[in-house]
Amino acid sequence: MNSRGMWLTYALGVGMLHIVLLSIPFFSVPVAWTLTNVIHNLGMYVFLHAVKGTPFETPDQGKARLLTHWEQLDYGVQFTSSRKFFTISPIILYFLASFYTKYDPTHFILNTTSLLTVLIPKLPQLHGVRIFGINKY
Amino acid sequence: MANPSAVCNGHLHHHHQKQNNLLKSGIYKKNGITKGMKKNGISNGTLYKKTFIEHFEQAPMYVAVLTFLGFGVGTVFGYLRDFMRAWGLEKRNVAAEREQQKDFVPLYQDFENFYTRNLYMRIRDNWNRPICSVPGPQFDLMERVTDDYNWTFRFTGRTIKNVINMGSYNYLGFAETDVNALKTVTIELQKYGTGICSTRQEMGTLDKHVELEKLVAKFLGVEDAMVFGMGFATNSMNIPALVGKGCLILSDELNHTSLVLGARLSGATIRIFKHNNMQSLEKLLRDAIIYGQPRSRRAWRKIIILVEGIYSMEGSIVRLPEIVLLKKKYKAYLYLDEAHSIGAVGATGRGVVEYFGMSPDDVDVLMGTFTKSFGAAGGYIAGKKDLVDFLRTHSHSAVYATSMCPPVAEQIIRAMKCLMGLDGTTQGLQRVRQLGKNTRYFRRRLHEMGFIIYGNDDSPVVPLLLFMPGKIGAFARRMLKKNIGVVVVGFPATPITESRARFCVSAAHTREMLDTLLLFTGDQDMGVDLFKVLLSSIRLLKIHREL
Repeated sequence: MNSRGMWLTYALGVGMLHIVLLSIPFFSVPVAWTLTNVIHNLGMYVFLHAVKGTPFETPDQGKARLLTHWEQLDYGVQFTSSRKFFTISPIILYFLASFYTKYDPTHFILNTTSLLTVLIPKLPQLHGVRIFGINKY
Repeated sequence: MANPSAVCNGHLHHHHQKQNNLLKSGIYKKNGITKGMKKNGISNGTLYKKTFIEHFEQAPMYVAVLTFLGFGVGTVFGYLRDFMRAWGLEKRNVAAEREQQKDFVPLYQDFENFYTRNLYMRIRDNWNRPICSVPGPQFDLMERVTDDYNWTFRFTGRTIKNVINMGSYNYLGFAETDVNALKTVTIELQKYGTGICSTRQEMGTLDKHVELEKLVAKFLGVEDAMVFGMGFATNSMNIPALVGKGCLILSDELNHTSLVLGARLSGATIRIFKHNNMQSLEKLLRDAIIYGQPRSRRAWRKIIILVEGIYSMEGSIVRLPEIVLLKKKYKAYLYLDEAHSIGAVGATGRGVVEYFGMSPDDVDVLMGTFTKSFGAAGGYIAGKKDLVDFLRTHSHSAVYATSMCPPVAEQIIRAMKCLMGLDGTTQGLQRVRQLGKNTRYFRRRLHEMGFIIYGNDDSPVVPLLLFMPGKIGAFARRMLKKNIGVVVVGFPATPITESRARFCVSAAHTREMLDTLLLFTGDQDMGVDLFKVLLSSIRLLKIHREL
């Protein structure tokens, strides 16, 4: 995840998503920003916190099969630069979305809930925790 | 250094140059004073006799971004196809569980095969191509087509003749079918048969093995050697015999699976240092000696450094002089796996030890394989007589595995004799020289064309970086259309952004073959033409200006 160019690709990908959404004629700017934020957080949740294991066979004899991608990053070491980057990027998107939606209540609730779904699983205390046994195996 | 096998009056003389000729090597003692190691001695004038040039050029940022985008698009389409397969919109070609078993816990996690199913299968026709001739500098391929996008293949019955072979580790060109050359091998085959069916310690030691071991020891300039039937097994069966619990193994990041397996089987503690990075290795050594074993703080029983001569994925050569100085300073042992470098580097083909002008006494365990340069199969371990005698009794391979079969041993004997000049010709030396010439020419031309090549300028393994996943399949297929067979490697065998095509230069390749290859490689300029043309034209201008 800290390969050269990964962060730039990620930022470009989010930028592309936003431009696509902005270009749809019947979305106003606040709606486009909220949608970018929500879709980005949804994607991040699915790929980093829901899907477990690896898409290729690893030589570690299946130790990573029960871990989500976030838990596998940097072999479980917390507070590395990749982890910080992926924690900060939804927060930045949240700030931008709140600004462009002019702090409208409905948008605010939507953005905050989606931010929380993506920030809470990243806390080191929740490393390996499966609430209510969801996604355990 | 004087030519160790000069030709005088048409007869081949062997100036018995002892390899530990300290006056000639000039590394350790000059005027009786030992030269110490300079700190961070990478380009140390006294340590390296010739300049050690290695390139690991990084790709420009746009290439990295495009690579990730390529993988992203591939992943998205993979999910789409999986979805369609799950819902029955697309035919399922993979083995699936029966309907009655669907309610049980699944046997396999299907996500683990995601890349295999969706990315590898689509370009699978570039690997495991069946051949129908000896894999020399050119070979014949069986033509195969697929009707269902590489899930199944069928042969058309035709063969593609004279495909230039850039994939075989045929460094000295001993993979040949010349009847005269193989005469002794056929005689031995008639005499001894094909298999031995016994282990070395029971009834499997023949006079051929003894002859071969003596020859190997003479070739390398060591006291004794032992040969094994399989190159991979040489590593995985002997490292457990040499180290055990309470020992420390310091192994390079990019070591081969056989070394990793042997290290794991031994039960010793394994620590990994960055590839060819002497500072990382020194730090690990210091920490190991200062802190000892993890909890008991006792001293380690043995510290052994596992390195390879030439790393086959990178084409880099190990920094042997620095490692030997480190090992002497910290009193560790060195295990050198010369699978790719024996026969391929060095003035007379004796491997990296000769390439750096060092004495084979500096390396504690010299290991190598006969698969690559000698056109046979099997491996050897060489070193001091005590070490080899220990291995004869304690090696797992000597106790449980069958020994090398006699025709193969004879092939190695004849190849080694040819290489050493003992058959009365200079053919061996010519092959080594030809390999060196081919390597240098090939690398220089590829550099001029502007491709990113990894590795040392003198290594016959040439990885050409392709970076983008789409290019892996496209490059291999287009080269096959032009009658050239290349090996391409991608993730996860290499890091995700560094997929490559790996060329193995051989002494048997003629200049014309290399030129054809270069012409077509240049043609496949693979899309990012403008920048490459710009870069190569700038380079050419620089060269012209210097002239």
